[in-house]
Amino acid sequence: MAIPKAPQTTTPTADEQPVTRPERTPTSSPAPRDAYVLGGNRIPFARAGGKYTGASNQDMFTAALEGLVARYGLQGERLGEVVGGAVLKHSRDFNLVRESVLGSSLSPQTPAFDLQQACATGLEAVVTVSNKIRLGQIESGVAGGSDTVSDAPIAVSEGLRKALLKASHAKSLGARLKALASIRPGDLAPSTPSTGEPRTGLSMGEHQAITTAEWGVGREAQDEVALNSHLNLSAAWKAGFFDDLVTPFRGLTQDQNMRADSSAEKLASLKPVFGTHLTPSAPVHGAAAGSGAPGPTMTAGNSTPLTDGASVVLLGSREWAAEHDLPVLARVVDAESAAVDFVHGHEGLLMAPAHAVPRLLARNGLTLEDFDFYEIHEAFASTVLTTLAAWEDDDYCRTELGLDGAFGSIDRSRLNVNGSSLAAGHPFAATGGRIVATAAKLVAQRASETGRPARALISICAAGGLGLAAILESADVPTAPSATTAATTTES
Amino acid sequence: MTATSHASRNPRLVTLPSLPGLGGLYAKGVASSGRIAVTRSPVGRVLPGPRDLVLPDVVYRVDDVPTSGVTEHLTAYQRLIGERVCDTLPAGYLHVLAFPLATALMVRGDFPLPLLGLVHVSNAVSVHRPVGVGDVLEVRASAEHLRAHRRGVQVDLVTEVSTGGELAYRGVSTYLAKGFGLPPDEPPSRRIEEAPREEFVPPLPTARWELGSGTGRAYGAISGDRNPIHTSVLGAKAFGFPRTIAHGMYTAARALAEVGAARGDAYDWTVEFEKPVLLPGTVQVAITRVPDGAPHPGGFAYVGWHGRSGKRHFSGAVTPR
Repeated sequence: MAIPKAPQTTTPTADEQPVTRPERTPTSSPAPRDAYVLGGNRIPFARAGGKYTGASNQDMFTAALEGLVARYGLQGERLGEVVGGAVLKHSRDFNLVRESVLGSSLSPQTPAFDLQQACATGLEAVVTVSNKIRLGQIESGVAGGSDTVSDAPIAVSEGLRKALLKASHAKSLGARLKALASIRPGDLAPSTPSTGEPRTGLSMGEHQAITTAEWGVGREAQDEVALNSHLNLSAAWKAGFFDDLVTPFRGLTQDQNMRADSSAEKLASLKPVFGTHLTPSAPVHGAAAGSGAPGPTMTAGNSTPLTDGASVVLLGSREWAAEHDLPVLARVVDAESAAVDFVHGHEGLLMAPAHAVPRLLARNGLTLEDFDFYEIHEAFASTVLTTLAAWEDDDYCRTELGLDGAFGSIDRSRLNVNGSSLAAGHPFAATGGRIVATAAKLVAQRASETGRPARALISICAAGGLGLAAILESADVPTAPSATTAATTTES
Repeated sequence: MTATSHASRNPRLVTLPSLPGLGGLYAKGVASSGRIAVTRSPVGRVLPGPRDLVLPDVVYRVDDVPTSGVTEHLTAYQRLIGERVCDTLPAGYLHVLAFPLATALMVRGDFPLPLLGLVHVSNAVSVHRPVGVGDVLEVRASAEHLRAHRRGVQVDLVTEVSTGGELAYRGVSTYLAKGFGLPPDEPPSRRIEEAPREEFVPPLPTARWELGSGTGRAYGAISGDRNPIHTSVLGAKAFGFPRTIAHGMYTAARALAEVGAARGDAYDWTVEFEKPVLLPGTVQVAITRVPDGAPHPGGFAYVGWHGRSGKRHFSGAVTPR
């Protein structure tokens, strides 16, 4: 990049006094401070081809954002930043979030940008906004995400694309016609987005089926996770938990995929859909290692359905929240991302959170038992189970995670207590916002009930072998020992 | 590897002005294949005479092969195979580049085996140092090591690419001519029996390739190898295949590409071909790091198989040098 030349300077003459700027006091402290989750809002998640057919990512993101603005009285407010994204995104949506801001009642002077980290997009947006707040760069912000499979972009084939590009670059009519004449009938078939991994050609479900086989996760255990997800989500809806977290959209008032009447029998009756082409092999990890070779276990019931939806989270400094008379739900404590080598089968595609969480907890001087709530994104029921099995496996934790032994177990009654993606659905970029808003409200409620700080662990797996984990802690009770103190204690 | 057959120690060096085009060679190959078939009729019976199965004692050479103009073709190859688009010529591309010179040897009137019907059974490549766009190459090809096989005879077509007088690439393509035999009094060096292969149990896959019906035509267009078994259903049927089959080297090159940057600048790349991949078709693939203590440590082993039947299509290794 060329560095612009400095403007020519002239030596000031005696009567040209240099202009002295008035002394300014910094308006925010340069030292890192805390960022807080103040609230959240989403639209109900719809099944693919359902109620949101025809609604774009921008429509849905704007709806979620506008609901947040209405709930927290942010009309005309200039926020520090709005950050979000979509996984399945059309090239015309290059400024998806800024366009959504312009379509909302926020001040048009609110800046925005798009980011994308596959299924971790929403959580990564929360981390990004909270980091800006922590650094004093902004006082407030919104993080979120939106995804639609019903309105997914469809691209033209490579052959057609190349011919059209060549034609548009052609200098003469003849050259243009020649380029267009190279189009073959086969080139007219559109290319639709897929959930396949570009480097392996395997869909996410097929990848997870391999991980499931390696860990020997059984069918019943997976169906149990799915059933709990539906029962917990519907109980939370009934209890009114989502009343201040969801804005109805296009006639949908609750998550469309939720089955309050689901049962173990119904889930057991479904046929496996992933891993059906695998040659049965004995598990290599976990408690089942070396035992018999189970057949395929992953069904439409214990795998997340394709879904449409959007979610946003309001974040701010404590001062900004006080100035705007807004509640403070939870402190964003810390986050850690990880990635694994799944391309050559060394690790499962969705196992990165198993690596991220131990690193995150070590840095913060915490153990796996130190949490009141665990929000482990249910990409598939078996993703949750293989992650938990990995942390319980002595050998795996030693060789793969570099720990002294098993990382630990969790109290399963604290896991996804208000349901997760299996029941709610998983509009890729919108899942992070759903989970953060849910977890923030859960720790705030728990702290106000018990008078003790409450803590939640969030873990989200993503395509490309990515994973992101974060810690939230209730805001308005005496806080736990600070992270640095705790870390120092662990290291000494 | 050195030639152990009856080739002389000082083969005649024949310098060609440029790399030949494959199209013309195929026409010639079809003609000479017919001639060989006629003189050996009925098929499978070996006619007596010491001249029958002697390899031409020549090395073909082309000097000063420029690569400055290959960028667009190289990019097309890299996109098709899944190689990173860059200015280094991957081993599979060097194979494609040198292949016509080896083919020119195989269509010589004194080459004892018919080009059509030769089965590519294995390939072993060593990349000693990277070859880049703009390098000026010397390409050599020779036929070596004619030997008996339980289903016929095998021969190695050896191609070498040098830059600045130093060997950069050496490829050994082993072909099987079914139905041909060597006289029983041949020395043991020409009677090499391979060890029986152990039964194949498919591992967990790391990838899946969905190969469309045009896969053979696409690789044929890039590589110049438009053998009808790859490009035309009728051509494939003529050789006993129900549909077209994928080029073996396409599958091996894709596996090489999927190993990625971990192979380094200099590497060995081997493949053995078994059941052909019928097109369109789905190939289950496992490309995994070789564990310590196994052969080719530090490298990658790969295998491709048919999901339903569990039959192996190919297997090989990529090992950094």
